[in-house]
This record gives sequence, C-alpha cells and structure tokens, in this order.
Amino acid sequence: MALIVHERGLEKFRPLEKVLVHDDFDLGFNGWLDLTPNFVREGFQSQPSQLDLGSWGPSMISAAPMRFAAGHGSMEGNYSLKLATRPKAGPYEQPPVNGSMSTVIKRLSRLDDDHRYLQLEAWYSYTPEQDRWGTGEEDIRAFGMWFDVQDETCRWQPGVRYVNSVNGTKVKRWQYFHTSEDITREQWTGSPEGWESPGIDAIWCGERYPDGSADGFQWIPDGDQKLVYNESPDKLNWLYMRMLVDLETREYVEFQSMGRTFDLRGLPTTPSLPYDGITGLINPVFFIETDTDRRVFLYLDSVVYSTGREPNA
Amino acid sequence: MLTSATTLVERRAVLTAAFGTHPYEAAWASEALFFVRAEGPHPELTIQPQVSPDGIDWLDRGDQVTLRADRDLVDVEMARFGTWVRLLIEGATQDAPATVLVRLELKG
Repeated sequence: MALIVHERGLEKFRPLEKVLVHDDFDLGFNGWLDLTPNFVREGFQSQPSQLDLGSWGPSMISAAPMRFAAGHGSMEGNYSLKLATRPKAGPYEQPPVNGSMSTVIKRLSRLDDDHRYLQLEAWYSYTPEQDRWGTGEEDIRAFGMWFDVQDETCRWQPGVRYVNSVNGTKVKRWQYFHTSEDITREQWTGSPEGWESPGIDAIWCGERYPDGSADGFQWIPDGDQKLVYNESPDKLNWLYMRMLVDLETREYVEFQSMGRTFDLRGLPTTPSLPYDGITGLINPVFFIETDTDRRVFLYLDSVVYSTGREPNA
Repeated sequence: MLTSATTLVERRAVLTAAFGTHPYEAAWASEALFFVRAEGPHPELTIQPQVSPDGIDWLDRGDQVTLRADRDLVDVEMARFGTWVRLLIEGATQDAPATVLVRLELKG
C-alpha cells in the first residue's frame, strides 16, 4: 500500500497522481492572468470578433473586503484570486456585452503521455458588489471552469458552467461544455468568417435560449443544485468543485460540486480541428458573467490541477 | 524579493465623458504606478488618482496629472493607499473622445 503525503493545504483536495498546479493566492498570481485575444494584426489589433475580447474585467489579488462586513480574507490565509466583471450586461439571449465577464487562465503544456486523466479542482466563492439593496443572488448569471486542450489531432474544451440566473430569474443548474455537430461556424460566431470553431470558447459563442440553455452547453443530468450563496452580498462561503476528464477518449468522467458527485462517464466533449501553434497545450480557465449592470465577483482561494494514469490517486 | 504584478485595468477603453477606471484591490502592495497611454487623437486629459473604502465611493488622493493633447503617455504614482485604487480621467467628450490603455504596476 502506497503512503501518500501531501503538503499542507493539499489535504482539502483530491488530486490525481501528479500535481502539476497547487496555487494558493496568498503567494500572488502564481502565473494566472486575464484571458485576452491575440494582438497580432496591424496596429496591434486583434482578430475580428463579434465581441471585444479585450474588454473583460481584470482579475486581482483580493482580501475580500466588504462594505459592511469585515474583510473576509480567504479560506486559508489573507488573499484569493478575484475575478471581477464590469457593471455591464445585456439580455441573456444576446452575445455577452463588452465587460460582462471576467476570466483567468494559466498557460501550460502536456507533460506525460501515460497520464490519461486530467482533473481541475478549486475552492471558490462568489458574490455581487454591494452597490444596491437586496440579496443580489439573482444578479450573478453564470460561472465555471474549463480546460483548453490541444492534442495531436484536435482542440477541445471540456468544462462546467453553473447557470445561476437568467435575466433575473434563478436557474441554479450545472451544465457541461458540449456543442452538437449541426452548429455551423456562422451560428457559433455570428459570422461565416469567425475564427472560433464550434465548441471553442463556448462562454461567449453560440446562441443562447431563454431557459438558460445554449448551443455550447448541455445540462448535466439531475444537475440542479442550490449552492451556498448566503444572505447578503457581503458574506462569503467557500465551496469546492472538481472536474475529471479522460484525455484518451476525450470524454467526461466525473464532476463534483460540494458534497455531490455527478457521474459523467461517456458524455462527449467537442473535438474541433487543431489550431496552429498550440499542439500540446493544456490551459485551465475560470470565468464569471454578470446578469445585470452590476459587478460580480468569483474568488478562487486555491486551485489544483493534476493528472494520472488512473481516475483517482 | 518583493512581489510584483502588472495588469491592464483598461484596454482600449473609449472615453466620451468623465471615466473611473476598474476598481482595483491593491492591499497587498505598497506601491502603485499607473501608466495611461492614449491611442490616436485625444483632448487634454486630467487624471486624478483616487482611493475608496468599498470600491464604490471615491476620494481624491494625491496630485492630479495632465496628459497633454500632443503627448500619448503619462505615469501616475500612488503611495500610501489602503485597499482600493483607481484613476478618474476627465476631459474626453462625445465630440472629442479618447481611447486609452491604463496599465497598473503593483509592488510590495
């Protein structure tokens, strides 16, 4: 029987065999940064897109200060990585307006071909800015996490999204990233020349529908879950989530949120043609989107990304 | 060794009125240096560093800086602040807009 000894802080995670990332933001950004487009065109412009992908709200190292409560610090220590949208949103059914999201990414690459399984875990919290009365829970539209993966033949993005609220109505259901094959590039990007392939960058691509569904997402079976929000924008609770993916079959395996584990075995991801220059890339990404003209925040206390030959340690 | 971080709090924001940059938490840092870079023609801009108790209400802190219409880059220093920092940028109008990148460098 193997004895596994974890460094302090890792015991609240369930990492696979090889821990590639264990980031506690008490130590700074740890290489996480805002997700931005490629400024490679004339005049340092980015690729044409229906959206301004450079507009998302910048992330920051936060002690979770509150307007009426004392500062929360983080789950362990003083600081978390805080994603903060700008105070702008359109109707859910429209493409996200400039600034309505905040995203962070860590840019990495594949290490070991023997490692079939890929897992992303986080302790996190979420709340809106306390700029108006009310509980504010309905003003957070969605948040989640995904891996951007490119292997030798495909680029694919397995992930999960919590649809918290749609146009002010609470939904509170989990989705996984998947785009059906009949979605065209024009439907996906809003233009036949769009550079995103169907299935890539689902958080701002594809059409969205009034019940919270969208071209880029499928509902997780039995995926209704009331997360802890607390009763006021100035009260945080720290929550756990974990996603496990099979690199060989390009399928989901499992998603855990708080104490519930959803069996996702056999559910497909959305392989697309590879992009130039990124073969071997594996990037974990987190995001949050606001549902109204109000800043909303996702706080990451700590993140673990691990790989292994087996789907558990 | 100190910790440092850089971010763009505004990336090609188009200003047509008085504009406060993204409220930013900098409690971990003891020095902040903003750079305001204008792209293309712009009117003279006045830039006021500000602090806040909550990221919502803002107070001036330190001296105002001017970005002349014939210049495209200026720095704005902040020392002695609490948690929240931002810049209030005034001078742009609908008729005379400005496109700005605002970089924030933190160290502490």
